[in-house]
Amino acid sequence: MIARPEPVAIGRVVATELKPSTPHQFHFWTANETTIGIGAIVRVDDGRGEKGEGRVVYGVVTDGFAYSDLATPLHDVIGAEGDPARAAESPTVRQEIRYWTAAVLRQIPEEPLQPVPLGQVFVASDTDVAQALRMDAYLHSATPTAIPIGLYTSGGLESPVYLDADFLLGPEAAHLNISGVSGLATKTSAVEFLMAAVFRHFPAHKGKVAAVCFNVKGPDLCFLDQPGELSDEDRRRYELLDVPAKPFERVQYYAPFKADGVNLNTLRTHADLVDDVTPLTWGLQEVVDFAEVLLNRDDIDAKADAFIDFLRDRVLGRSFEDGFGNAHKVETFADLERLFRSIFDGLELTGRSDTWRTHHIATMRKIRNRLLNISTRCKGLVTDDGPSSDLPWGAFEDRAVYVIDVANVDPLGQDLVFARSVSKLREHLERRDLGVDAVIVFVDELNKYAPGDGPETYVKKMLLDISERGRYLGLVLFGAEQFRSQVHRRVVGNAGTQVFGRMDMDELTTPGYQVLSPATKIKLATMPVGELMVRHPHFTQPIFVRFPKPPVLRGRDGMGRFPAAIDLPFEDAVVRQLLQLDRRIRPNQVKDLIADRTEEDVRRALAAVRQKRPDDVLAFFRKALGGRVAPDVPRERRAVPPLNPISDEPY
Amino acid sequence: MTWWDALVRAGAVPAAYVPPASMGRTDADDGAEPGADVVEGATVAVHPVTPAPSPPACFLDGIEQWKVVSYDGVLPIVHAYVAAAVRRRGEDRRLRTAFEAARDFAIAPLAGMAAERRRALTEHCPDVVEISIEEGMQPGRLLELARRAVDSARQALERELAERCLAGLGDAEWLVVDGLLSVSGKLSGHPRALGVIKSHGAQFFTGVDLERALTVPAAHRTSVFRARGGHARNEVYSWYLRLWPWEGNDLLYGLLRIEARAAAATLAGATLVSSWLLGERAPIATPDARWDRLLYPIHDVETYLKARAPRDFLASRASRLPRLRRTGT
Repeated sequence: MIARPEPVAIGRVVATELKPSTPHQFHFWTANETTIGIGAIVRVDDGRGEKGEGRVVYGVVTDGFAYSDLATPLHDVIGAEGDPARAAESPTVRQEIRYWTAAVLRQIPEEPLQPVPLGQVFVASDTDVAQALRMDAYLHSATPTAIPIGLYTSGGLESPVYLDADFLLGPEAAHLNISGVSGLATKTSAVEFLMAAVFRHFPAHKGKVAAVCFNVKGPDLCFLDQPGELSDEDRRRYELLDVPAKPFERVQYYAPFKADGVNLNTLRTHADLVDDVTPLTWGLQEVVDFAEVLLNRDDIDAKADAFIDFLRDRVLGRSFEDGFGNAHKVETFADLERLFRSIFDGLELTGRSDTWRTHHIATMRKIRNRLLNISTRCKGLVTDDGPSSDLPWGAFEDRAVYVIDVANVDPLGQDLVFARSVSKLREHLERRDLGVDAVIVFVDELNKYAPGDGPETYVKKMLLDISERGRYLGLVLFGAEQFRSQVHRRVVGNAGTQVFGRMDMDELTTPGYQVLSPATKIKLATMPVGELMVRHPHFTQPIFVRFPKPPVLRGRDGMGRFPAAIDLPFEDAVVRQLLQLDRRIRPNQVKDLIADRTEEDVRRALAAVRQKRPDDVLAFFRKALGGRVAPDVPRERRAVPPLNPISDEPY
Repeated sequence: MTWWDALVRAGAVPAAYVPPASMGRTDADDGAEPGADVVEGATVAVHPVTPAPSPPACFLDGIEQWKVVSYDGVLPIVHAYVAAAVRRRGEDRRLRTAFEAARDFAIAPLAGMAAERRRALTEHCPDVVEISIEEGMQPGRLLELARRAVDSARQALERELAERCLAGLGDAEWLVVDGLLSVSGKLSGHPRALGVIKSHGAQFFTGVDLERALTVPAAHRTSVFRARGGHARNEVYSWYLRLWPWEGNDLLYGLLRIEARAAAATLAGATLVSSWLLGERAPIATPDARWDRLLYPIHDVETYLKARAPRDFLASRASRLPRLRRTGT
């Protein structure tokens, strides 16, 4: 048996009438040279442990003080005769103290709850950290639910800190909110690391898990499948945390087109990577349920609402007779336009009243304008015609990341993507047919999408809905923002796990941070990259952890290694997309096929190919384009001489 | 069971009396009429001193605490505690304990005590110092004898520690003792031992010399003199050194008397020693009221000893009003 070295006391609890020990707080002193610092976890032993009746208290250092026996600063001035340089030359150094305040994390036994005994203070060991943070309950249970979030590092100790999956991903509690100033590579990195940890440690008995990440700025999440540079230190930390130090294995990228309909609206357009990006294009069917997202609220009065409902319930996707002898099947915006034209023409030709099936023509004209305008406003995302291209609803893969790049999409389009994606996720999770049992939805910039003030947007409603009801469904929000105080209270309040990177001092003066000691705030304001403060339901006090650099290529580095390609001309872009589907295709063949064709026709054919993914791509594309209609050349007309020329006079 | 509990069981009356002068130590002279022979010049002169860096040094101080814990009749039985320590200053300018010793003992007029109480005391207390009494001696006089016994025990402890320290003193290291150097032959004969005396109950000069000695300006020392009388149990050289300006305060403000080996080297080195002692003014030994004469390292030793002393010598902060008897309900 290997003898374990006796732990050496590093401090001693002291209590005075003015600063007594309480059940929740205690004070202790240490040597001047100590490894203890703000955030360190310590163990207090009352020294009666051997008899089995001792009390052990775990605490986290929340404040520190140093002072000497100097009665007043004036005495130092007098001693140095007013010369600061002489003060430093005094032959003896004054007695001084390192005095710490710690908040109680846990007491054993927990009952009766008593003031902290005036015992010796020890640096916490690995086991102590697990006990102090109550991790033992979910780390060593029959069905462990521990997910590492980082390493507690203090006093030479590197102890993994685990979150409880039941409280991170539901059903007990759920959601994670991370705050921190931007530009210090902490928020996104932390979420990337945590997703890797979740994928590695998500308990088997809880089923399958996937992540849907909205890339809302720059190339942040564009290279999750590419390895980043890791130091040996980072690799060692990955080993300690039992998380593979490699990029995500299953990542699917989705991005809408640009306005030209053929070039993808993403920064992941480097020739080596763009093949993995699936276009995200939605048609009328996909959009109409979320018309409220796109329509101005002032437009949607009761009459307009009723007409939209009529279209949705009675018209879309069904065979429909317009009452003027024309049959319609409305599946695209183009079909919808034909229907409206038919109705308006019918009313005009028949001279009937201004009402069609109880809907006033003015209401119909308004809705027509608004709906058809959607495809213009969200060009690239919403198609006028042709099939849609969407996430694999119902076929989500275990441990897969689905990145939806909306960074360069206009705000209206972003709203639509958020609203529809989250609604679909909820819908499928409710029906248990998504393909996975839990989905992490990562949304950055909550300041923008779920602000504490401002109008009630559809996106904000969706985020509130996830926050409040998602945990029952397995729909988990990982939200990030710069200023937590400016995010809707119910969004941050419902996050069971709160993570803080380096914070802005102004932000720390807001009421939400009043529970933190001044020292903790200073630590938060000066925290280095790679360190976080974590609050979790099992931890009674915030805990500081370090996490390794994420194993994926960071956005900025990715742009250096895989710079975005310049937008291709229309023909070349079409060729590239077809080549993605079939490498055998020769560019000239495609160019010949689309010569003289309208761009709308080509886009429609391309979308059909993408949707069908046929074996013979070129043949299918040719068929989808349809036969070339020869231009109708006007016949040459022979001039007919006037029957009775009056005169040669031209006038 | 403590020995004073045993005494009470044997019939002594419990007490908790902390005499006003029991918590400190005295540098009082032994009452003999002092005198001095100036050995540096013909009369007392003053010499300027400039602060200089201190050599490596150890500092020795002691404390004494005592209180009456019971009475046998009117005879007080005293519980005493004396302690001393040497703190060595390291290269990092911090003080660390090099030697320390303490003694916890009883002081009792054994001869006058009832047999039962005497037996209880001697059986339960391994260290009893007897004070002799005379017929009809008043309790107040007994307390004075107890104080002297405590004082003497403290001095003995200091002497013992000082001599242990001298044995291991480095080549260039000094030992600075709080109090008289002349009480020990080994101390007073060591070339790098200094006594620093803060109390000036004994005056060595009269007339002009006295005036020069007691009005020595700040950062000046007097001529070296050989102390005679009560102080001269072992011959030492001595001189006065003023740390802080006394004008606006009192004559003894900031005034130290230094004792060193009676040797020619002391004469030659008096200014240098005074220089580094002057440098010891900082840091100031506040909040001690004697900070103007108390060197910080000595204050540090005293603080250290007090922090380690038993707490039961402190006067109770509770009221001294009679206690109500318990009714047992």
